[in-house]
Amino acid sequence: MMERYFGISPKGDLLLIMRLCETLKNRTFLHINSTRSGGGVAEILHRMLPILEEIGIAARWEVIEGDNRFFDITKKIHNALHGRTEKITKDMWDYHFEINKKNAERINLNADAVLIHDPQPVPLIEFRKSGRWIWRCHIDVSNPQKDVYEYLRRYCERYEAAIFSVSKFAKAMPLSEFIIPPSIDPLSEKNMELSDEEIKWTLNKFRIPADRPIILQVSRFDRFKDPIGLIKAYKDVRKYNDCILILAGSPATDDPEGDAVLSEVKEYAADDPDIYILLLPPFSDRDINALQRASTIVLQKSLKEGFGLTVSEAMWKRKPVIGGAAGGIPLQIINGVTGFLVHSIEGTSFRIRQILNNPDMAKRMGETGREYVRNNFLITRQVRDYLAVWYSMENKGKSILEL
Amino acid sequence: MTIPFEFKQYTSILKSTGRRAKNLRELREGIATVSKESIFHHTYQYSLKAHVLEYTNDFAQWAGESIEERALSERLSNIDPYAFKDIDGLRNELIKVIDDYLGSFPEPRDAVPGDEFYFNEAVIFIFPAGVRVKNLAEFLMAIKYIDASSIYYHFYDARTRLGGINDFSKWLENELGKKELSGKIRLIDPFMHNIEKIREHISELLEAEVKNDMEAIK
Repeated sequence: MMERYFGISPKGDLLLIMRLCETLKNRTFLHINSTRSGGGVAEILHRMLPILEEIGIAARWEVIEGDNRFFDITKKIHNALHGRTEKITKDMWDYHFEINKKNAERINLNADAVLIHDPQPVPLIEFRKSGRWIWRCHIDVSNPQKDVYEYLRRYCERYEAAIFSVSKFAKAMPLSEFIIPPSIDPLSEKNMELSDEEIKWTLNKFRIPADRPIILQVSRFDRFKDPIGLIKAYKDVRKYNDCILILAGSPATDDPEGDAVLSEVKEYAADDPDIYILLLPPFSDRDINALQRASTIVLQKSLKEGFGLTVSEAMWKRKPVIGGAAGGIPLQIINGVTGFLVHSIEGTSFRIRQILNNPDMAKRMGETGREYVRNNFLITRQVRDYLAVWYSMENKGKSILEL
Repeated sequence: MTIPFEFKQYTSILKSTGRRAKNLRELREGIATVSKESIFHHTYQYSLKAHVLEYTNDFAQWAGESIEERALSERLSNIDPYAFKDIDGLRNELIKVIDDYLGSFPEPRDAVPGDEFYFNEAVIFIFPAGVRVKNLAEFLMAIKYIDASSIYYHFYDARTRLGGINDFSKWLENELGKKELSGKIRLIDPFMHNIEKIREHISELLEAEVKNDMEAIK
């Protein structure tokens, strides 16, 4: 069972999974979210479902369906939870509920444990039939628009437990709240080892020269990821160091703003031949892997972030990472040890220059980062945690569980 | 017949209490009223972090880093959780130190938004690590390579379970008759070292003992 992770994942994580499976084996575990492609949630589910099945859990993944109006509303809710001012009218909330109701009629909601991912499908709790229902919040709700959060809270409080990625996202609610960071799969196409030939081939494919240091950001084209701020920082760095900037991202079906942001970024970078803007089709994981491995420094200059798993992806590939001090990024970057946390465009440019000028430091950071990810951010740890939460809900009131 | 030593693994899953503190008064209020599990998590379980000895618990770290009250941070760091009979004794000491500080220093500033103290607790899972040893040489090898959480469970956590003893000393004395070695390990102060240093100390003591045993002519 899970032999391919032996020697890669920490042994303790694998042992605990095996122990928990002795109790949870053959039980049903339903995941519901709002997109099958694009973004970190879909990516983790694509990797996690086969693992759960392999260890004997009857896992199922369903995606709610909605029209453009629904996803416009959920994007506004998403933005408001991140703290941006949005107007969500009563009509919009009603429509949000109605679409969920239609989905509840379509999806089989029976399972021993049901994990509802993010706010889009959160009203499904109204149609709960059986099992333990857990709301999994992946986004940064530390400073939400109050009325929007309060509206959603009515749904959240009906769940038996909630899971947040970072402590500061959790709210005072009358239910168990667990803190579980997301994770990366070291064996996925996005993170597996690649040959030097393949890395070169990928650069050739995108016509990117390999003769200068590469600075890379992989993310959706979203204002919270601050692509314009990154280009400004890059332009500043170019006054001192010759290097290339790559902004690479895939479109997400649940993000109607992506096209507008991409146009803004293209317009801003227009006259610079050393800025490469790559709109990659969904499932371009192997290309992203190669781009990360070809890079000298990986950036995640987010202003708001759920967790920012591209940070762990890059650290796993032994790259120094510069990240905005937002969401889960400070949990992954130990400032000055595995990379740098930045709070401004100026800080970003300064840290890029610092790493470009200190290859020994970059190497040290890369090695430490890899080990840190191994111990904290691999998918086996997240599988362990989900099963542990489920098991602890079956043993409510106990804070020490001997297996 | 010798009963083998079975190493256990210790994993904790973090739970939020939903409570937070943005300043020292709110921290004090929180410490006074949160669950025993939360106090345990922020003090005893601090040893599970790969930390340096600048701080010895989360409260001290927050006081030093987030509200920059260095003197308070030092005082909180000096509280040895193993010196108390129970969590409430430790809780009262934390409150006393904060009250004394509030009484004699100007009101500290609030933490910047996002840098508040978040009160958490943990659900703990204990399970066999799949390593059993039956003599000193095997024990030495296991100590060198076992997961850090096992050292925490058998050396740190055992003190709260067994009242000042640790599992290693108990087994060495009861099963191998190594009373002196057991005493030496018992004397290592858990509060003064992180887990990796504890591993190093115990390994050194075991290595010396194995060497002595091999030199002995019986």
